[in-house]
Amino acid sequence: MAAFDLNTITENASRLGMRLQETISEHARDLTIARGSGSNYLDSSEEKVKNIRKQLDSNSDREKLEAMKRLIALISKGRNVSEYFAQVVKNVASHNLEIRKLVYIYLLRYAEQEPDLALLSINTFQKDLSDPNPLIRAMALRVLSGIKVPMIGSIVVLAIKKCAADISPYVRKAAALAIPKCYSLDSTHQPELINIITTLLRDRSPLSIGSVAIAFEAVCPTRLDLLHQHYRRLCRTLIDVDEWGQVDLLNLLIRYARTMLPRPVETTQESGDTVIEVDSDLRLLLQMAEPLFQSNNPAVVLAVARTFWYLAPSSETSKLVPPLLRLLNASPEVQRVVLAYLVLVAEPLSQALSPFYTRFLVRASDIRQVKKDKVRLLRAVISVDNYQALLREFVTYAEDTDDELVADAIQAIGYCARLVPDSTQQCLTSLMSFIQSKHDVVVANAVIVLKSLVQLRLQQQQSTLSVAGSIASTSPLAIISRLAYHIDVIRHPKARACVLWLVGQYASSPTVQENGIHERGPEGVAEWAPDVLRKSAKSFMGETSLVKLQIVTLAAKLLVLNPTDSTLGLLARYVFSLARYDQDFDVRDRARSLSSLLSGVTPILQPQGEDEAHEDAGGVVLRREQVRMILFEGKFGISEELAAEDRTAFGSIKAITGKTFGDSYLPDWLEEGTEPSLRDTEDDVPQGPVYAQASLPRAMGGSTKATPVVLTPTGPSPSSSYVRPEGYKSSWTDLDRFYEDDNDEEAEEAESESEESQDEDESEEEEGEEEEEEGEEEEEEEEETEEESGTEDPDDRTDSGDEHTQHAG
Amino acid sequence: MAIDGLIILDATGRPIIQSGFRSNTPAYPLLHIDALNNAISKSSRPDDVDPVLYVSGASTEASSACCHVKHGELRFLSPVSGDMDPLYAFAFLQTFINILQEYFGPISAETLKDNFDVVYQLLEETLDAGGHPLTTSPNALRDIVLPPSFLTKVLSVAGVSGLASPSANSHPFASPIPWRKAGVRYNNNEIYFDVLETLQAVVNKNGTPAVSSVWGRVDCNCKLSGTPDLLLTFSNSQNLNDACFHPCVRLQRWARDRTLSFVPPDGHFELMKYRYAPASTTTQHQVSVPFALRVAAINIDENGGTFDLALTSRLTTRPLENVSVELFLGDGAAGANCVASHNASWNFDPKTLNLRWEIKSLPPSSTFSLRGSFTSNTKNPRPARAFRILFEIIQHSFSALKIEQLKLTGEQYKPYKGMRGRSTGDVEWRW
Repeated sequence: MAAFDLNTITENASRLGMRLQETISEHARDLTIARGSGSNYLDSSEEKVKNIRKQLDSNSDREKLEAMKRLIALISKGRNVSEYFAQVVKNVASHNLEIRKLVYIYLLRYAEQEPDLALLSINTFQKDLSDPNPLIRAMALRVLSGIKVPMIGSIVVLAIKKCAADISPYVRKAAALAIPKCYSLDSTHQPELINIITTLLRDRSPLSIGSVAIAFEAVCPTRLDLLHQHYRRLCRTLIDVDEWGQVDLLNLLIRYARTMLPRPVETTQESGDTVIEVDSDLRLLLQMAEPLFQSNNPAVVLAVARTFWYLAPSSETSKLVPPLLRLLNASPEVQRVVLAYLVLVAEPLSQALSPFYTRFLVRASDIRQVKKDKVRLLRAVISVDNYQALLREFVTYAEDTDDELVADAIQAIGYCARLVPDSTQQCLTSLMSFIQSKHDVVVANAVIVLKSLVQLRLQQQQSTLSVAGSIASTSPLAIISRLAYHIDVIRHPKARACVLWLVGQYASSPTVQENGIHERGPEGVAEWAPDVLRKSAKSFMGETSLVKLQIVTLAAKLLVLNPTDSTLGLLARYVFSLARYDQDFDVRDRARSLSSLLSGVTPILQPQGEDEAHEDAGGVVLRREQVRMILFEGKFGISEELAAEDRTAFGSIKAITGKTFGDSYLPDWLEEGTEPSLRDTEDDVPQGPVYAQASLPRAMGGSTKATPVVLTPTGPSPSSSYVRPEGYKSSWTDLDRFYEDDNDEEAEEAESESEESQDEDESEEEEGEEEEEEGEEEEEEEEETEEESGTEDPDDRTDSGDEHTQHAG
Repeated sequence: MAIDGLIILDATGRPIIQSGFRSNTPAYPLLHIDALNNAISKSSRPDDVDPVLYVSGASTEASSACCHVKHGELRFLSPVSGDMDPLYAFAFLQTFINILQEYFGPISAETLKDNFDVVYQLLEETLDAGGHPLTTSPNALRDIVLPPSFLTKVLSVAGVSGLASPSANSHPFASPIPWRKAGVRYNNNEIYFDVLETLQAVVNKNGTPAVSSVWGRVDCNCKLSGTPDLLLTFSNSQNLNDACFHPCVRLQRWARDRTLSFVPPDGHFELMKYRYAPASTTTQHQVSVPFALRVAAINIDENGGTFDLALTSRLTTRPLENVSVELFLGDGAAGANCVASHNASWNFDPKTLNLRWEIKSLPPSSTFSLRGSFTSNTKNPRPARAFRILFEIIQHSFSALKIEQLKLTGEQYKPYKGMRGRSTGDVEWRW
């Protein structure tokens, strides 16, 4: 026997060899091309291009294949080759699968551009819908649905309908994906398409269900009522759906749950425990989705995170934190996106995030957006317990080469000082040390943060009337004076303006009045203030307008504090006359308005030559106290550095780009969910024998951990492994149906149940629990069969698959 | 709300492969290519480009985002429009890259050009015109799109069409398990596990790690006949946290007794990923960094600076291989001059402004040093605050993960099983 086999093999081999030799010698030239590489196709000359038409019309498959490859090559070079459409379309019925696939690739691309020509060959496509090869059937449908001619809408609908009932789930998937295209072509087909979707929803194979969800969202997003009957089954099959389908299906189920299920209610009992009441159907979804956190596809993990964020009771939302943190290590791109999402949820979930703050440590090699988001996350998790470590981090980041990170880090230090009062000393110390930095960015940011801190502390002191400055070196006024002494070093315009404003605002030091020691400075003014004015008056011409404005303001304020000091008066006059003729009209305006404001305080600012003009002006002249009030009061409002976050949807692209893309609106919960009995299905009704079987393991089923997931290989045909579990899944849902069905074997049990559950609501709860238990049992059951009959099981499945292929054939 | 298409750019930013973009204007892909090339040319550092770029269209309705991934010299970009999670696009791009690697091995512009017809077929099969991924499991794809081989090329030229496309007769999607091909036969049944662990650490100035964690990945190469059902037990599985798995793994079994039970796909696949958290070392969950970098001195003056570094291996048995120590010298850095001990090499890249010190192999407990100076055109240069150190350790794993047992059911043969470990590290050392 074996010898015979060997004989035939060698015979065949030699025959093949001979044939090869013949053809090879015949086409030796072509062979070298093919061997060389496909890039020869890419670099083909114009002559060859002209040849394509002839090649396509030739009888040889080889020629045709080569022509098709050339065409595809031209496509990839970005050339429009729609002129060959007529020739290509002829080959769609070729016997060579290779050619056919390339033809379809071509058609998929150009059917939309050449609808008229595509129409001519529409019969071929329709014929191909019955091709034995599912690949060709699907391709034909894809081309058909791609032809953008509203006229053929009804043909496409028919084709979709045919394919929706196909035995291959791959074709059914293609059918589902064709639905949105057909709908966008002609929306009048909606009713028929909805019918098809309803049929497809019944599909037991998990392969196509994701695409059905897409079709549903496109065609009838508001008809969530169609899902009632399928909701529970969809939840249960979630684990077996392919990863892309899981994402789409979860998004649909989230919307369903939000619209149809009652909101989880949290009630605080007398004992102080909070009890969370979660609808059993919602619980089912959460339970089925949770294991998918372990998917290696980041999109799935995020879809599950969305499910928990939008549906789970608040006590469970924190479950989304560890999986999302895991994604931070997946790839730099994923890290970037996930960080943006984490920032969105950082505030409500800061408790859950704070133990993991080390995952957000900024690396010098991170990209800019990552650095920014990491600092924001670190800010969000600052607490009394970890502020020491976080402050150290922020101080390190202030040395970074990225200016934005430096700014963020220094601001974060300021934020920390405000949030955790204990840390204020440390924060101020480090901020003060930054002022001596050699780098402008560091100094500038430190000054700006110091300004708001100083204001805050002064405000606190005023409100609490506490003793000023617990430690001399870091009391607000000491900080201001140190800033004042550093005015020469601070070059950044914004920072300079800031210091000048601070100096002016707090120049009237209260300590001076208390102690009565004011040896050097003019009366009523802190000793360092006039010198700051002197220095800035000197450099006035070289400053930016921002700083000039503040210099003028400083001069005015000092003048109000001490109108009699002649040096101050002269300085102010000098500044005002410079400002009066400044290039910037803002500066001129400011100077003019301030000088007329001060006219009642001191005459020194009035330009000598214009005395009369001034007297003509008339109007109200304010007293010194009034001017002082105007210039100094009402300045305590501290602006928050970060604008309040608007409610960006979790998991939407807006979080990353900051731009809105269309509207992805997620409805709020319904006040009361819809009747759960709507979701009862015939599948849930017990079938006698199976039920009895199921009741056995129930007794022990309850003890195991409730992770009702079995990843079993599942057949492609609707008739395979799904039927059995569905059959005995949950009998407990519809009591009414039980009563109708008196001769049911389980009548006894149902009765005993009904006694417990006279109240409607109670029975609802019961159902839920029972259902869950049932779920477990089922898993147990499957698990066991798998373990026990490991050898048979996969074989069984292969068998069913084989059967299926026979059908297909 | 969908992935609009996929474009592959070569190193110079020109498109090689481009999907249909049927529902968009012809300018649409060009806009995205331009947006990316602009962003790259604008960025200060070559890799500092936001992976999600906003591309404004003619109207606000038409605006879209460009998600892009760099792979080797190639860039894969996928424009998305509508409110969609960019992770979906990134996951798809990664899957597509994996498929290409599965088909062509290491991919470059050349391999893609050589096999452009296969790439186009793959593209059509993996991404529907509506923007949703279709078939992405390599096992199912191999039934539909033939991987290129010399034989198929010869045969197709020879015109033996029946032989060239055996899938004409066999049925695609015939397998009852979506991720496994039906009817696989091997003479030698083998399965290999590659454990790759990466140490990610940030070390503070004082030499104590601020964070250090080990992320592991188990890659599998399965050459088993029929439909094997495997049960894999690790010796120290309780130390594996944050695990995620290939869809073939039964999650419930892992939750229950931390074993992996699965029917593997045929060929290469990524079985699982995990984070290793040692149980013994108190609550810190830290893994020690296998070397120490002593920064003896970094002095920065007006126009440059000097530095003196010493790198000591803390390992006692194995050498650290392919060690590279990188420091960004700050904007305006003009050049560097260093002396490296033990014939180690150093270079300064004027484009990225990085100083890189490379050591082929750092023997156990040895110390290498580098001293030198750099100059800068800007006053008060600001070099990066940290060194980035990359290294490899061959045949070593931080977690000492061991396969305790591999049970096979469903088939009669006894497979050969192999496992090997490799470790890499990416450490930021602050100074």
